[in-house]
Amino acid sequence: MNASMYKSAVKPTWCPGCGDFGVLAGITQALAEMGWEPENVVAVSGIGCSSRFPFFLSTYGFHSIHGRAVPVAIGMRIARPDLKVVVFGGDGDGFAIGGGHFLHGARRNVDVTYVIMDNHIYGLTKGQTSPTSDLKFKTKSTPYGSVEPPINPVQIAICSGATYVARGFAGDPKGLKDLFVRGMRHKGFALIDVLSPCVTYNRVDTFKSFKERIAAIPADHDRADLSAALTLATDPERFFTGVLFEIQRPVFEDRVEALKGYSDRSWIEVVEDVFDSMS
Amino acid sequence: MAKQFIKGNEAVVKGAILAGCQAYYGYPITPASEIAEAAAYYLPLLGRTFLQAESEIGAINMVYGAASAGIRVMTASSSPGISLKQEGISYAAGAELSCVVVDITRGGPGLGNIAPEQSDYNQMVKGGGHGNYKLIVLAPNCAQEMCDLTMHAFDLADRYRTPVVVMADGFVGQMMEPVEFPAPVVDLPPKPWATAGTPETYKNLITSIDLEPDDLERHINHLYAKYAEIEANEVRYEEYMVDDADLVCIGFGVVSRILQSGIERVRAEGKKVGLLRPITLWPFPEKRLARLADEGKKLLVMEMNKGMMVDDVRLAVQHRVPVGFYGRVGGNVPSGREVYDQIMLHLEAV
Ligand SMILES: Cc1ncc(C[n+]2csc(CCOP(=O)(O)OP(=O)(O)O)c2C)c(N)n1
Ligand code: SF4
Repeated sequence: MNASMYKSAVKPTWCPGCGDFGVLAGITQALAEMGWEPENVVAVSGIGCSSRFPFFLSTYGFHSIHGRAVPVAIGMRIARPDLKVVVFGGDGDGFAIGGGHFLHGARRNVDVTYVIMDNHIYGLTKGQTSPTSDLKFKTKSTPYGSVEPPINPVQIAICSGATYVARGFAGDPKGLKDLFVRGMRHKGFALIDVLSPCVTYNRVDTFKSFKERIAAIPADHDRADLSAALTLATDPERFFTGVLFEIQRPVFEDRVEALKGYSDRSWIEVVEDVFDSMS
Repeated sequence: MAKQFIKGNEAVVKGAILAGCQAYYGYPITPASEIAEAAAYYLPLLGRTFLQAESEIGAINMVYGAASAGIRVMTASSSPGISLKQEGISYAAGAELSCVVVDITRGGPGLGNIAPEQSDYNQMVKGGGHGNYKLIVLAPNCAQEMCDLTMHAFDLADRYRTPVVVMADGFVGQMMEPVEFPAPVVDLPPKPWATAGTPETYKNLITSIDLEPDDLERHINHLYAKYAEIEANEVRYEEYMVDDADLVCIGFGVVSRILQSGIERVRAEGKKVGLLRPITLWPFPEKRLARLADEGKKLLVMEMNKGMMVDDVRLAVQHRVPVGFYGRVGGNVPSGREVYDQIMLHLEAV
C-alpha cells in the first residue's frame, strides 16, 4: 500500500498553503502504514473547509451535516462494526454546533479516529470567531475582539472520556502520520487535535506563531496519568504536541453487542418470545 | 438620515436597529452572514448585544429567552440553519413570544448550495415545526423593503405576540441598492406578560405546555382567533397593471422584479399582462386572487422552487381559472428571456 492510492482524483479545493494539506498528507501515509483496504474505511465529516476531506480520499466518504459528524459516525459504527471510521472536521463543526455530540461520542468511547483541523476560525463561512479563537481575537463577527475565552479541545476530550488524545501540527506531516497511526490502532475514541492554520482568514494563528509555541511532550510523561495529561494539555504558554493521554476502556460497540443476548438465536424466535411474554 | 447604498442584508440590521432591536443571536452561514457581521459591528456601538451562538439551536433559544424578558430580539440564518431553528420557533409560537427571524434562503435540499432559491416557502409559510401554529411571513424584494419590512416585522411581532419571519432569497440579501431610512421607533408597547422584574409581574409564567386536552385545545383556539385577526388585517401585496390584464403573473422576492421587466416588454408589444406580488406570504392575498379569478384572468406563477406558492394560488382560485407555473431551481434565477417566453406561451393559450 502506498499513500497515493488513498488520494482521490479530486484536487483539494483548499486555498494554497492551507494547513489541511499537511493533514491530508499525514492521513494518506497513515492509511498506507495501517494497510487498511480502502473498501474497509469510511471517512465521515460535518461541514466546513476541513470537512471536505472525504472528497479527497478514495475511501467511502460521508460529507454529512454541520456539527453532526459524531452521531453520523456512531450510526455507521453500530451498523457496520467491521468498517473503520475516521471522522474529519473543524473546530467550529466539532466544538460549537457539534459540542454536545462530542461529549457523548467521547464518553461512550466509540471506536473512531477523530481528526480536528483546528484553525481557531470559521474558514468556509469566511472568517468568523470559533470556540477555539482566543479572547480579544478580532474577526468579522467579533469586530471589537472576542469576549469569550476559548475552549481547549484536548482538555475537553480527556475530561469527557476519550481514551486516546493527541495534539499535532499541520506543519509536521510526518509527526501527524505517527499520531494518526497510533490513533487508528487504538481501540476507542481517539481524538487528534491538529493545529492547522487558515492562511486566508486567520492572520494571527499562523504556521509561524503555532511553531513558536509548540513543545514536544517530555519523554517521561505517563500517558495513562490523567492529571499529568491535563497539566500538559492546559499549559498556558506552550502547545505540547504528541500523545497526551491513552488508556484502555471497553468500547461502545462491544457494550451494545453484549446486550444482544439472542445473538445465537434467530431474531424471529426472539420476537416470538417477546410477543408471547406480552400477551 | 441620509440615503445609503447598501446590501439588503445590511438593510435588515439597520431596520432592526431603528425598530429598537436590543439583541441579536446568530450563527454564521452563507448567504446570511453579513446580517450577523453587521449586527456584530453596530449593536455594541449602540449599547446593545450581539452574540455568535454555538449553533442555530443555541441562537433561537437565546432569542426565546430574551423575548420572554420582553425586549425586541432577532436572529437570522439561511435555509439549513432555519431547519435547525424550527423547534425553537414552534415553542415561541406556542408560548406567544414576540421575535423576528430572518431567512436569507439558499439552494437545497441538504447542504444544497449558497445560490438563491425560494424553496423555504413551505418550511416557513406552512410551518416547518410541530404543532398548530402559523407564522407571519414577509417577503421583501429590494434593499429598501429589507429595512422597512424588518421594522414592520418587529411591530407585528409585538402586536400579535408571535414570531414573525422576513424571508428573502439570497439575491435580495446580496443586492446593493439605495436605502432611505424611516424614523426610529421610540415608543415601544408595554409587555405586561414578560419577566419584567416588577412586583406586579413576578408570577408571570412563560410556557408552551398544556397537559389537559381541553386546556390545550382552548389555547390553540385562542392562537387561531389571533391568526384570523391577522388574516383580516395584515395582508399586503403590490400590483402592477392588473386591471385590464388577460394574464396576471404572480411572484415574490427577486422573481417579482424580473417579472415586472418582462411585463414591461410585452406591454410594449401591446399584450395585456399584469403582476401581483404577495408581500405577506402568510397571510396570503387569497381574497384578491379569488377576485382575479372572478374576472376570468389567467394566472402564471413563477418561483425559484419546484412549485410551492402555486399551491396556495390554486387553493385561492379553486381551479376556476388556469394557473400556469414556471420554476427554476438549484440557484438559477430566471432570465428576462425566459420570463418573456413564458408569458408569451401562457398568453397564447388564452
Ligand atoms: C446548520 C448550518 N449552519 C451553518 C452552516 C454554515 N457553516 C458551514 S461550515 C461552518 C463553520 C466552519 O468552521 P469550522 O467548522 O471551524 O471549519 P473550517 O471551515 O474552518 O475548516 C459554518 C458556520 C451550515 N452549513 N449549516
Ligand atoms: S479558507 Fe482557510 S481553512 Fe478554508 S481552505 Fe482556505 S485557508 Fe484553508
